[in-house]
Amino acid sequence: MKEPSPRALLLTLLVLLMLAGASLVFRFAHLGDFSFLVALGIALIKAILVATVFMEITLEKPTVRFAFAACLSLFALMLSLLVADVLTRSPAPLGPPPGTEARYKG
Amino acid sequence: MTTLDIAVPVPTRRPADRETYLNIAWTVKSWALTTDHKRIGILYLVTTIFTLSLGGVFALVLRTEHLSPGPTIIDAYTYNRMFTMHGIVMVWLFMIPSIPTAFGNFLLPIMIGAKDVAFPRLNLLSYYIYLVGSLWVVIALWAGGCDTGWTFYSPYSDHSPSAVVPTVFGIFILGWSTIITGVNFIVTTHTMRAKGVGWFRMPLFVWTMYGVSIIQTLATPVLAISLLIVGVDHWFDWGLFDPARGGDPVLYQHLFWFYSHPAVYIMILPAMGVIIEVVCTFSHKNPASYKAIAYSTLGIAFVGFATWGHHMFVAGISTFDAASFGVLSMLVAIFSAIKVFTWVLTMRRGSVVVTTPMLYFFAFLFLFVFGGMTGVAVATQSLDVHWHDTYFIVAHFHFIMIGGTLTAWLAALHYWFPKITGRMYPERLGYVGATLVFSGFFMTFFPQFLLGNAGMPRRYYDYDPKFQPLMVISTVGSWILGAAMIWTLAYLLVALFKGARAPANPWDSRSYEWLTPSPPPKHNFFREPVFTRDPYDYTVPAEEIRA
Amino acid sequence: MPSPAAHPVSVGEQWEDMEKQAHAARFGMWVFLGTEVLFFSGLFALYTAYRIEHPSGFDVGVEHNTIVYGSVNTAVLLVSSYFVALAVHELRLGRNRVSGWLVALTILFGLGFLGIKTAEYLHHFSDGIFPGGSGHFFEEHTEPGIKMFYTLYFCMTGLHAIHVFVGCCVLGFMLWKISRREIGAWAPHPLAIAAIYWHLVDVIWIFLWPLFYLVPGRAG
Repeated sequence: MKEPSPRALLLTLLVLLMLAGASLVFRFAHLGDFSFLVALGIALIKAILVATVFMEITLEKPTVRFAFAACLSLFALMLSLLVADVLTRSPAPLGPPPGTEARYKG
Repeated sequence: MTTLDIAVPVPTRRPADRETYLNIAWTVKSWALTTDHKRIGILYLVTTIFTLSLGGVFALVLRTEHLSPGPTIIDAYTYNRMFTMHGIVMVWLFMIPSIPTAFGNFLLPIMIGAKDVAFPRLNLLSYYIYLVGSLWVVIALWAGGCDTGWTFYSPYSDHSPSAVVPTVFGIFILGWSTIITGVNFIVTTHTMRAKGVGWFRMPLFVWTMYGVSIIQTLATPVLAISLLIVGVDHWFDWGLFDPARGGDPVLYQHLFWFYSHPAVYIMILPAMGVIIEVVCTFSHKNPASYKAIAYSTLGIAFVGFATWGHHMFVAGISTFDAASFGVLSMLVAIFSAIKVFTWVLTMRRGSVVVTTPMLYFFAFLFLFVFGGMTGVAVATQSLDVHWHDTYFIVAHFHFIMIGGTLTAWLAALHYWFPKITGRMYPERLGYVGATLVFSGFFMTFFPQFLLGNAGMPRRYYDYDPKFQPLMVISTVGSWILGAAMIWTLAYLLVALFKGARAPANPWDSRSYEWLTPSPPPKHNFFREPVFTRDPYDYTVPAEEIRA
Repeated sequence: MPSPAAHPVSVGEQWEDMEKQAHAARFGMWVFLGTEVLFFSGLFALYTAYRIEHPSGFDVGVEHNTIVYGSVNTAVLLVSSYFVALAVHELRLGRNRVSGWLVALTILFGLGFLGIKTAEYLHHFSDGIFPGGSGHFFEEHTEPGIKMFYTLYFCMTGLHAIHVFVGCCVLGFMLWKISRREIGAWAPHPLAIAAIYWHLVDVIWIFLWPLFYLVPGRAG
């Protein structure tokens, strides 16, 4: 694959703008739980388009692509374990552990 | 065991008779605006010696305060600020830069046969950023220093009356230096290896510089955002972790430790790189397994990112997260163990010479293994519940930081002293120094395991009188350690001017940096180097270098 | 092709040829972009966690934000990315003048983004929305998490705006080099690496836009 031509660049811009337009339309479509998936999914496609066509990441050597991919995986690692914490916490106990009430009196 | 008569160096042309990176120019400008990686390495080395001394002075004051319970020489607020600034200065102004910026900068290009790093001007910029960041932290000290602990936990850091904002700003600046150095080393290692220097045929020190560069480049931005938030919350009261405004203080800890756990690997990986070089040279042997060291370096670099929650076992994270982090923490220990076995097996059937660097290696071996095993112990959640935030933890990480990193830094200082300065250090004084450092250190920190296990909390100004005997032993040990450091730096300073002239290869090593004169010329090698031999091939005699 | 200027970009003494130097520069920039992603990661992680903890406040926040500002800004950045990508193409062909004009357009659009953002912030302030949860808006709207939504909004879009500004400065510096013929067909990589920095700033906004303007949660 070689560097994109001006036509390819313009075409990509038009697709990006159309995708942005689609996001706007979906904004008002009341998708409930799916709205996240749709909006972020479209964002991901736009990001991939920018990365491959405008930033020419596919033309870089594999080492470079691996380096950037490593950064993205670390973001994923941070996100997953941090969010997992928030999602899997159990509610705080309402009283002292059984058998220890004496310690907390007065 | 053969002896190497290193007191009598092989005669060689005096450096004054030939061009070296030192005598090529003597002006202040030639140092201040240098883009020579060797000079930049020296700038960093000198500055880090100052920051080590500053952090050391704080430590001595802290320990002296603990000679008796209650007030001894300082008040409680000063104590809190002092342990905070001790941690900050030691971690960010000394430990993290120490080996990579001084020895990494000096040696990495030479070890791969390059003339310089990939981005020499960025390299100089990284030094000035480091200097400005460090000066900013010193300014923060002048403004009274910060008292939150080096971890800046929310919510206290949001409201502390101490100089939080200048402190975090200084560290924020320092972070950029680390990132620039990391990018520089990564690109250099990938793109500038000379003919004959394959990935599995370069000195292993390069592997650890590469590994540490990966960690520091990827982790430091997360520190940057954590500190930015602390600063913004403190100055503007934005309350990003304030529960009253929907915040969650535990999330601060997630962000902080996501950086700070890899940070401890930033501090130990370069030390491991020094150790493998020292062990191979002074055993006159190739490593027991080159690939084991190389791959375990990458293993530490990547798996080290996944273990941060073990600092938060009692902070209120979910059981699921705590369990995951516990398992991952056990996994990462395996890579260090692989290295320890490799170092020890390397000595087997080798021709061991006990020089000062080798003495430091023996100290490292004992102290790092000891500290590392206590690390595995505290990674066990049920045990950490008892030991968290006690002196046990303090002892654990000082065993690694001093017993590991500082010991290796001292080994590096001695091992590469001839290469950098062109002079030999006095070996017997080195033996004394190494012995004093080890004894002083052990006397300071071993009692702290006992103190922590008995319940002495960390960061406490006052303590129960029953702890006093162990506290006093620890304090006396710290004075010995301080004296040992002064002793060492003193004889090295004298050796700088009065030491015997060093030949190109005083240790009879096969590693590539010894294939050029001591000190090296500006462009590292007189001719374009082509490396035909393995850097650990001790089956053939060393190449003679005519300087 | 016009000849290079008196001080054109030349091969540094540590490199064998321009191609190696260009590759190293691009490699370095991509690693740096990775660090920028990690810099923003913490804030994206906070957003995710807080949204899970307080869905209602975040929904109200998104509803209240003026979608026109965000959407126009999205289009502005996308078009600016197109301009700078085209500028790189033109520079590779040695057409410094055309390339220069395209870079200037990119900077203009970048400044336009900042202008719209400023107007939007002023609008928020006049509504009584300030970072940290201060302002009379929060006396009327007390959903849990609404304060955090807006604090994160100011943090993330503010940090992004700083990056847009830095990008404009970097591109301005490139414009200067292009006009003086210090870079050109024989060495287009300085503009190329400045351009990919700009593109990353665009990509970050591509993700900020849905998070702060588009996505109603379960309550929506």
